[in-house]
Amino acid sequence: MSAVPFFFDILAYSAIFVLVVLGLGIIASMMGIFNFAHGEFVLLGAFTVYMFQQKGIPTWVGMIAAPFVVAIVGLILERIAIRRFYTAPIVAMLGTYAIALALREAVRALLGGRFHNVDAPLAGSFVLGEVSISQWRSAVIVITAIVMVLCWLLLTRTKFGLQMRAALENPALARASGISVNRVYATTFAFGSALAGLAGGLMVPMYSISADMGVPFLIKSFLAVMLGGMGSFEGSIAGAALVGASSAALPWAIKPVVADLLVFVIAIVIVKFRPEGLLSTWRK
Amino acid sequence: MSQDDLKGRLDSESRRLFLQRSTALAGMVALGGGSYVLNPKGAWAADPIKIGIATDLTGAIGYAGIPNLNVAKMVVEEINAAGGLIGRPLKIFAEDTASNEQLAVTRVRKLVTQDKVDVVFGGITSSMRNAIKDTIVNRGKTLYIYPQLYEGLECTKYLYCTGPTPAQQCDTFIPWLIKNGGKKFFLPSADYVWPHELNKYARKVIEKSGGEVVDEVYFPVDHNEYSAVVSKIMSSGTNVVFNTTIPPGTPVFFKQLFEAGFQKKGGRLACVYYDENALNITPANEIEGLASCLDYFKAVNDAYGNKLQEKYTKLYGTKNPFTAGSASTGMWRGINLWAEAVKTAKSVKRDDVATALDHAKLADGPGGPCEVVPGTWHVKMPMYIAVAKSGKYEIIEKSSGLVDPRECVKT
Repeated sequence: MSAVPFFFDILAYSAIFVLVVLGLGIIASMMGIFNFAHGEFVLLGAFTVYMFQQKGIPTWVGMIAAPFVVAIVGLILERIAIRRFYTAPIVAMLGTYAIALALREAVRALLGGRFHNVDAPLAGSFVLGEVSISQWRSAVIVITAIVMVLCWLLLTRTKFGLQMRAALENPALARASGISVNRVYATTFAFGSALAGLAGGLMVPMYSISADMGVPFLIKSFLAVMLGGMGSFEGSIAGAALVGASSAALPWAIKPVVADLLVFVIAIVIVKFRPEGLLSTWRK
Repeated sequence: MSQDDLKGRLDSESRRLFLQRSTALAGMVALGGGSYVLNPKGAWAADPIKIGIATDLTGAIGYAGIPNLNVAKMVVEEINAAGGLIGRPLKIFAEDTASNEQLAVTRVRKLVTQDKVDVVFGGITSSMRNAIKDTIVNRGKTLYIYPQLYEGLECTKYLYCTGPTPAQQCDTFIPWLIKNGGKKFFLPSADYVWPHELNKYARKVIEKSGGEVVDEVYFPVDHNEYSAVVSKIMSSGTNVVFNTTIPPGTPVFFKQLFEAGFQKKGGRLACVYYDENALNITPANEIEGLASCLDYFKAVNDAYGNKLQEKYTKLYGTKNPFTAGSASTGMWRGINLWAEAVKTAKSVKRDDVATALDHAKLADGPGGPCEVVPGTWHVKMPMYIAVAKSGKYEIIEKSSGLVDPRECVKT
């Protein structure tokens, strides 16, 4: 019977992780920007939901609004700062890190440095005999699956997806073919930000909001993108699923402190043998 | 009014104006550099006694550092309004240690070498205390008072700890938990010094009181997935979860525990740093019945505490409240005990004050009276067991008299 919560919890944590990594992966793989402010975009999504709750508006409305709010913030930041970094990836890391600090400290000031809980639109658990399963976590798993499919369709089946991939593969040729690379990059960045906002909005009922809520996800998210291989959308998801699942599963068997380390060791070993990313052979 | 009188008044007026302006300037400087100088109000003939406050006004621990400085300002103003100490006013030199130990050492060095303060109060986390204590006590030859509840074992001459120790938080609390929860304890913890040392002590008390520890599990400090440990807690028949995980993990852990039905099956949640601030971390129903043991809760409803709360709220609002878990009570006790010692010693020299501080007592305070246990650098105080009910604490038990810190006792 204990197998049910085991698999459910792994699935739930992986789902949250995939949501966080989706946006990061799209920005990293499509634009070559390692966005160190991604954790803070997640935070802004959560903060939007928190603000809605403070104003007495139901949190599910906030969750719908969060991706749009964060997309706008992302778009503004892209226009002001990020677009200057496209040719200098190292500067981009430092620049986005600075943005991250500014956003995080601003939210900290607004929250008074404390933690605040946010109500889940679905409270309570499904009880199956001895086992109870959180309704909201179940909902997040379903939403993640839907978002994943929609993203995949957007990237592979739409004109915008084609332009995005074209702009990544060969910006000069894309420009020559009449694609506004500038606009595509701005939209891609806003889209990645929106996904971070959605992730933050959906996870905040589980994690409670605090200024540092995005931080623990950041390094592991990069690990996931690295595992999946740069430039591959499916790879990022596979990487996220693997990192998320092993982070949740390993503490069942070994000490959590060791498990945390082991996740990185496993990832490094995999990268050693598959430097092109998890799905590299499958893609060929 | 004679000409001289008028001149004297004008002088003091312009001096006051000067002081007001310089205070405002200090405030502006503070916004940029993280250093504040707060001059005493009014005109004083004697040189001020310099008080150093080194606390985390920004960063992750800011929620505790801000009320700490507020308390310090409030107490210092009270002392100044009552005529200062040994005829001298108190002047605050505050430094923002920004939840960053490396930075803190530089800031604290400035306090002791450049500002030459007579005493330093501050530090919230144990890592902060450990980072700055040498600079203050050994190299700086200055008295240091640390206000936060902590893991004990700090037996350094000239370093006084005015917050509760593991003995104060566990000795009455754990037997109560066994009676009102059960015998099987689970200790989920964050992997740093405070949980390790507190658990060591708690385990001793649990076993001595007839309970047993099912397991003691440590998580990385920023861990945020607890399904494995929740499942272990649920399947082991644990009665009491004695939590020392810290946010950001705690709300996730409590939620998972609640969703797994721990409380519904009669389990008791306990956490000794849980104060009024912590109540917001999770929805109230998820921590219904959570028990905590601290030196003060608003719910203690004592005359002194209520008056202090009222004044504090009037001065600083409700955004950064006066609570025990954020070291506010420790700061309040620290400054007042030190002030008593200065009065007795009639001096601010370190050795004189330390000798007097060893026997310092306060007849009343938030939560009740307190006194330093001579030769141990720790403070006896009353302790309270409180249980969270619908998002508020209810005081369940008050210690009979002052609880001994049981630190630094030669055996």
